[in-house]
Amino acid sequence: EATLDSNEEDDNSDSEESQYSGLSEDESSGEDDSEDEILEWESDDDEEEEEEEEEEDGVMQDIEVNGLESKSNEIDSSDEEDIRNTIGNVPLEWYKEFDHIGYDLMGKKIGKPAKSDELDKFLDRMDNPDYWRTVEDRKTGQKVVLSDKDAEAIKRFRNGQYTDPSYDPYAPWVEFFTNEVMEHPVKATPPHKRSFIPSLTEKKKVSQYVHAMKMGWMKPMKPLPSEEEEQDPRPSYYQLWTSDSDFTRRFKHHIPAPKLKLPGHAESYNPPAEYLLTEEEELAWKDQEPEDRRRNFIPQKFSSLRLVPAFKRFVNERFERCLDLYLCPRQRKMRMNVNPEDLIPKLPKPRELQPFPTVQSLVYRGHSAVVRCLTASLDGQWMASGSDDGTVKVWEVSTARCMKTFTLGHAVKRIAWNPNSSVCLLAVAVEKQVLLLNPGLGDRLIISHTDSLLQSALNSRQDPDESETGKKIPADWHECSAEEKANGLRIKISHAKNVTHVSWHSKGDYFVSLMPEGQSQSVFIHQLSRIRSQIPFSKSKGLVQSVLFHPTRPFLFVATQRYIRVYNLLKQELSKKLTSSCKWISSMAIHPGGDNLIIGSYDCRLSWFDLDLSTKPYQTLRHQKKAIRNVCFHRSYPLFASCSDDASVVVCHGRVYNDLLQNPLIVPVKVLRGHEETKGQLGVTDCHFHPTQPWIFSAGADHTVRLFT
Amino acid sequence: METDGNVPHVQAKFFTKQKGISVPDSPFSIPYNVGVIELSSLINSLLSQDEAESRGLVNFDFLVDGEFLREPLNQFLQRKEASTESVIDIEYLERQPAPEPEDALVHDDWVAALAASQDYILTGCYDNVVRVWNTEGDLLMTIPGHSGPVKCLAWLHNEDGVAQKTFVTGSHDETLLVWRWNQQTNSLDCVHSCRGHAGSVDTVTVSPNGQRFCTGSWDKLLKIWSASLDHSADADDDEAPQKKKKKTDGQKLPSRVPLLTLSGHSEGVSSALWVNEDVVATASWDHTIRLWDLHHGIQKSAITGAKVFLDLSICPETQLMLAASADRHVRLYDHRITDGASVKSTFTSHTAWVSSVSWSPCHPNQFISGSYDAILKLWDTRSPKAPLYDMTGHEDKILAVDWSMPQYMLSGGADNHLKIFSYQAREAQIPS
Repeated sequence: EATLDSNEEDDNSDSEESQYSGLSEDESSGEDDSEDEILEWESDDDEEEEEEEEEEDGVMQDIEVNGLESKSNEIDSSDEEDIRNTIGNVPLEWYKEFDHIGYDLMGKKIGKPAKSDELDKFLDRMDNPDYWRTVEDRKTGQKVVLSDKDAEAIKRFRNGQYTDPSYDPYAPWVEFFTNEVMEHPVKATPPHKRSFIPSLTEKKKVSQYVHAMKMGWMKPMKPLPSEEEEQDPRPSYYQLWTSDSDFTRRFKHHIPAPKLKLPGHAESYNPPAEYLLTEEEELAWKDQEPEDRRRNFIPQKFSSLRLVPAFKRFVNERFERCLDLYLCPRQRKMRMNVNPEDLIPKLPKPRELQPFPTVQSLVYRGHSAVVRCLTASLDGQWMASGSDDGTVKVWEVSTARCMKTFTLGHAVKRIAWNPNSSVCLLAVAVEKQVLLLNPGLGDRLIISHTDSLLQSALNSRQDPDESETGKKIPADWHECSAEEKANGLRIKISHAKNVTHVSWHSKGDYFVSLMPEGQSQSVFIHQLSRIRSQIPFSKSKGLVQSVLFHPTRPFLFVATQRYIRVYNLLKQELSKKLTSSCKWISSMAIHPGGDNLIIGSYDCRLSWFDLDLSTKPYQTLRHQKKAIRNVCFHRSYPLFASCSDDASVVVCHGRVYNDLLQNPLIVPVKVLRGHEETKGQLGVTDCHFHPTQPWIFSAGADHTVRLFT
Repeated sequence: METDGNVPHVQAKFFTKQKGISVPDSPFSIPYNVGVIELSSLINSLLSQDEAESRGLVNFDFLVDGEFLREPLNQFLQRKEASTESVIDIEYLERQPAPEPEDALVHDDWVAALAASQDYILTGCYDNVVRVWNTEGDLLMTIPGHSGPVKCLAWLHNEDGVAQKTFVTGSHDETLLVWRWNQQTNSLDCVHSCRGHAGSVDTVTVSPNGQRFCTGSWDKLLKIWSASLDHSADADDDEAPQKKKKKTDGQKLPSRVPLLTLSGHSEGVSSALWVNEDVVATASWDHTIRLWDLHHGIQKSAITGAKVFLDLSICPETQLMLAASADRHVRLYDHRITDGASVKSTFTSHTAWVSSVSWSPCHPNQFISGSYDAILKLWDTRSPKAPLYDMTGHEDKILAVDWSMPQYMLSGGADNHLKIFSYQAREAQIPS
């Protein structure tokens, strides 16, 4: 409405209102305030005082806002009377014909403001920067310039926002009471006793209802939804994929057409000289069938692009392309997204597979050359080792004390303790002989029993053997001389060639010796109780590397360089041939259960064969960097180990399940290092588990035997 | 004691059980990160205020919560998760003097067994010979008799005033020999041999009243023998084997058979001990410690460990058992706990197998352990993290230790030496 400067000086109500409207936050409160003020003003008679007050107030900051406020007042309440124009709430058209538009409070006419014509309006629009916010007050005919605040408020109001920009409708709600139980509650009065007692009135009410139901006065409500169902006879189901036609599916599984090959140099209008065909090539091109041609056009050279003629085959090519797209079936390639980590089998952690040997505990020093082989006695009290220095030493396991030394003169290739607990005997492969040696340790009864057993066998042999000497057997059994007997030797079995391997049958009566250079006569089976030898094979199948008896059944395992043949000794036939993936087998060991076999090879591989499963390795491990010299199984713990030339012993957990459907679990658990790496090729030459404890012995090229526990 | 500005302080109260070195019973404020040396000097300064100056500076050890303080106090309390706001009770006691190397007795071969008593030391060697030494280091007697390395020996009768002493030796040759030795005339005769084991005899232990002894062998058996020298008593038992023996050997050595044979172990018996007159404890290679009731001849209970047991020792006062096993640890067992974890604490400091342990004869908290790492260690059960003293000197594996004489700790090893360390136990610590 009227601004202060445009209004009369004594228009007090305006100033009064302005003071309050500045403080008011929203329209309704502003309205209330102004109403109060009007009442106040009406009761106040003294105008002079009001004037003074106005002057005291000084600068009226929010006077324009007040104008807006009062205007809104006029709109909002019809009872409101404009106090500067006393004509009341009548249409202004009634004053159309007069020069005035009403009367002020003093009864004087309020003159009509000079009507501006179109030119003035235009000039005003051009000149006055505030033109856009100048509005006309219809009651007084005055022009009012809206302040920035008013303009902003209108703008916000139009946008459906709160007119006051400082008001935040989404301010965080401060709860006066919380539903959480507070440590220090607002009101600490304990719950009334009443709240714990069942309400008596409720009880009465319930009993009334119950009585009413019993008497049949009260009936339960009928179920409502049945009516609704009747109302809607349409089925409530519909086909979800009505739009799922062959057509839409083709769009869903859209396969983009293969892209056309981009033109190359040959297609250029000015190709390099090497792309242009010579005359012979051109002739050859013309001779070829159109299908056989490498290009279906002849590259041509033009001096400028402008000289290039239209391509005659354009329509043909387009057509062929369309045929291609239409006729050639396209297929979506299914790509498998497999996480590489999922392919790794889940293996238990080595810690869960204890016990297994982890630390070096004892070093058995005494040999003066490479220790080639070792073996442990059945009860685990003794351990025997054979060395290149020509000695066999027997050690006390628990203290690393060398108890006995047997000097044999030549490098010891292989040594094996008799697995029969009632016999104390070592089989030693030295040069061309297999020696049976009584170490004389342990129970005296067993020692003497062993000697008497051998003696009686030797005595009983004499007669039959001499009679049937027609058949030449290149293994001769000799009784040792008294001097040699004092050294522990009992029987010598002479062979034609060097013996490299000897191993016992689990019963301790048979043992097998191996002479790799013996061609067809490379494997011998010896029987201790009858002092005789036999050659099981008549033909050579290759360079035999290792031989082994099956622990329980009459099978013999013979490993050549690449294959392991399993012979049935009773039926005298080949029962299985295992193919190893390696190039040169070095050693072999059989699981005490007899169904699993491991082999070590010179090309660093260790292969596990499940004899029931396949003739191919079930698993091949490559944990060692150099040739594997030996492999072994533990007698009772699910452990196996391999030793290699890189001076390490790798211990693996190898659990075999009774359930035939479950494959063996093989987990490498520990790399044992302790042996010093020597300058030569050899590292650890032999390893052997302790028969009862989860310990492993290893024989090294550093002249020591070590015990890992 | 100066106070550092930044370091927080804790309240501590000092007390002692030793006489004559007590300090005022009022709490002291000590820096949080104080070490043993600072505490020791604090006690020394307190003592010099109170008592005569004549007392020199003494090194003290401090016990907090029954455990020796071996690190700064704050670390100790953090490890124990103890409160730093309450007053800490610290017991102090004079530090044990270090054991002194006293003597080294040279043998011809590895020393595998030791037994000391009343100024005499028996040693059994791998050269099949038993030797008798006195504590001055004089070799009194060399006894060849066994045909295998001597693995165990024990005194049977060794009273102070009596000149005639007897002992028993066991060997790899599966026999035990009982010897009678006259100290004054230095004459010796073999009383009898004990035959019956079918493996090397690895341990022998004599009952508290000296009437019986118990042997354990590699043949997994435990045998109880009578220790009496009187042959008329068991003449009937002896008759049959004696006759046999005469036939084979022609030697006039009477032999005996065991009173009782107990089987149950699945591996060789490595150590046996009398717990009391009727109960024997054995440790074995089958990872168990078993207790045997001799009265009924049955196995009473078994403790299962994780490793091969090599030696056992029992404290006469607390009845706690120490076990040395084929790893780096010495474990303290309470055989009276029948279920749950019977390992009370683990002492780890050795770097190789611990071959032998022995409790102190007079101190319920101290023991020694000998290991294949050639170090003999003196331990206190209140200090499980670190030993009191390390005694070096051996050049090879220690195979046997003995602490029967309170003032001497003995160890024999694979370097052919028997080392004697003298040790003065604090008077005040010996319980009355």
